[in-house]
Amino acid sequence: MRVILSIAATSVGEAIRRRVLLVILLAGLLLLSILPGLSVLSARGEAANLVSTMYFVLQGTSVLIAIVLAVYMIPNEIERRTIYVILSKPVTRWQFLLGKYLGAVFAVGLMMGLMTIVALVLFWISQRPDAGRLAQLAQGPFMFFVQMCLLAAVTIFFSTFVSPLVNFFLSVGMYLMGTTLNSLYDSFVKNPDVNPLVRLAGQAVTTVLPNFSYYNVSNPLIHPEVEIQNPLTYYVNVTGYGVIYIMGLLIAGILIFDRREV
Amino acid sequence: MGPANVVDNLTMAVEEGEIFGFLGPNGAGKTTTIKMLLGIIYPTSGEAFVLGKEIGDMNVHRVISYLPERPYYYEHMTGLELLKFYGSLFGLSDLEKYKSLLEKVNLHNDMHKPLSQYSKGMQQRVGLAQSLLNDPKLLFLDEPTAGLDPIAHTEIRDLILQFRDEGRTVFISSHELSEVERICDRVAIINRGKLERMGRLDDLLKGARVEIIAEGVTREAADKLKVGDSTVSHHDGRVIIDMSETEDTNAVIDGIRGANGKIVSVVPRRRRLEDLFVETVRTAPSATGAESK
Repeated sequence: MRVILSIAATSVGEAIRRRVLLVILLAGLLLLSILPGLSVLSARGEAANLVSTMYFVLQGTSVLIAIVLAVYMIPNEIERRTIYVILSKPVTRWQFLLGKYLGAVFAVGLMMGLMTIVALVLFWISQRPDAGRLAQLAQGPFMFFVQMCLLAAVTIFFSTFVSPLVNFFLSVGMYLMGTTLNSLYDSFVKNPDVNPLVRLAGQAVTTVLPNFSYYNVSNPLIHPEVEIQNPLTYYVNVTGYGVIYIMGLLIAGILIFDRREV
Repeated sequence: MGPANVVDNLTMAVEEGEIFGFLGPNGAGKTTTIKMLLGIIYPTSGEAFVLGKEIGDMNVHRVISYLPERPYYYEHMTGLELLKFYGSLFGLSDLEKYKSLLEKVNLHNDMHKPLSQYSKGMQQRVGLAQSLLNDPKLLFLDEPTAGLDPIAHTEIRDLILQFRDEGRTVFISSHELSEVERICDRVAIINRGKLERMGRLDDLLKGARVEIIAEGVTREAADKLKVGDSTVSHHDGRVIIDMSETEDTNAVIDGIRGANGKIVSVVPRRRRLEDLFVETVRTAPSATGAESK
């Protein structure tokens, strides 16, 4: 475990110094900072609007950070030949891959944590909500974080066999499809008018692809009148789904990476 | 185009406690061989053993180390942090050991500097320090002196000789033939993935040459002095005869005197590794370029 954590810590050190990531983070923070001002100017200066927009910025920035970070994690090690020295030590490839994945997760977590704190502080300054409401709003970024962990696993998996550019588009594509899976499910699988073959294909696609839409729980958080029947059970279930999916992706990635020439 | 055999039917053994030079022109398969021995890439056939165990055995990785050609390290780290990181991969956390290793490679005054500020020579030296973290029995050094200035060359050479004195086995891949000639006990020369020569340097460089310089010998008379693979050349009225010491040197000297010539010098010349290398690569069957599997 120590080996994995050492590789993860080094990866975080590298990631937080990458200019492109810092620029994305800075842009996200800048957008979050100006949102309360824009909210005052809007016709409906509602708290719901502000939270909704803040979530949108936070999630969009996090997606970009997660993909850009994870896309280059393994190719950079190969290109710079740092991987050779590491693999000449008593480090197996699965330990290396897992360390890189955890490094990506920690780095994304750090950046998301910073954005969440900034967003909550700004929200508190502009809306003066009570502590309970603030705690409730923090649940949204937590679910986004689980979503980003899943997205990072998808990207790391692809990085074991495709180039960074292809990986970028594959990961973005997977994310966009994954966030619309519930609508796809409703349109094809639940709809009795659809051809059985199409329904079967829809069933297969919605089962195999990671369902990122599970983690978009912003509606009940923004509009307290919309309620999830049992929030705790829901959060545990979708987090469990994410963890299982992540494990599957990492095992598949390790199997590919284990025989790959680096 | 199909896949090429980068290394083909390569059989060799390295003895414990020696400095072994692994030579070959660019693209000969040196780095590929090292990567195979380290388990970084996989051979398509054949078998290889490191310290008696199959390649890829993690127990072996605990007692070997590797310094890649033109190493790149995480530039945000300092020299000390780099050793801490690689040390942690062995389960080490001995700060004093890290400091003493940096002292050994003469970097103790720069251990808190970021690696981005290290010169090439310093990067090589910190690379050697990381390669000693696990007190290795066997070191793989890929072009350890490439691109270094003469001072850094000397420092690295002294360190490598020190490794042998400490009882370690050193496997060096290098183009710096004069360095290899100075420090290696045995060498192997490969070309296009095939082993062309291997042996003790003293044995391989045997068959020394003798250079005879004479004056007052006509061209016709000089041409009659050719024996075996000797060469005769003329320069500033002098005749220069380069011949193997196994040939009859006295007969050639007598021939010069018989032609009323005057002997200027008779100098025995040890064959250089560079000559052997060039000769081996140029005359190797694999150098014809006929094969490309």
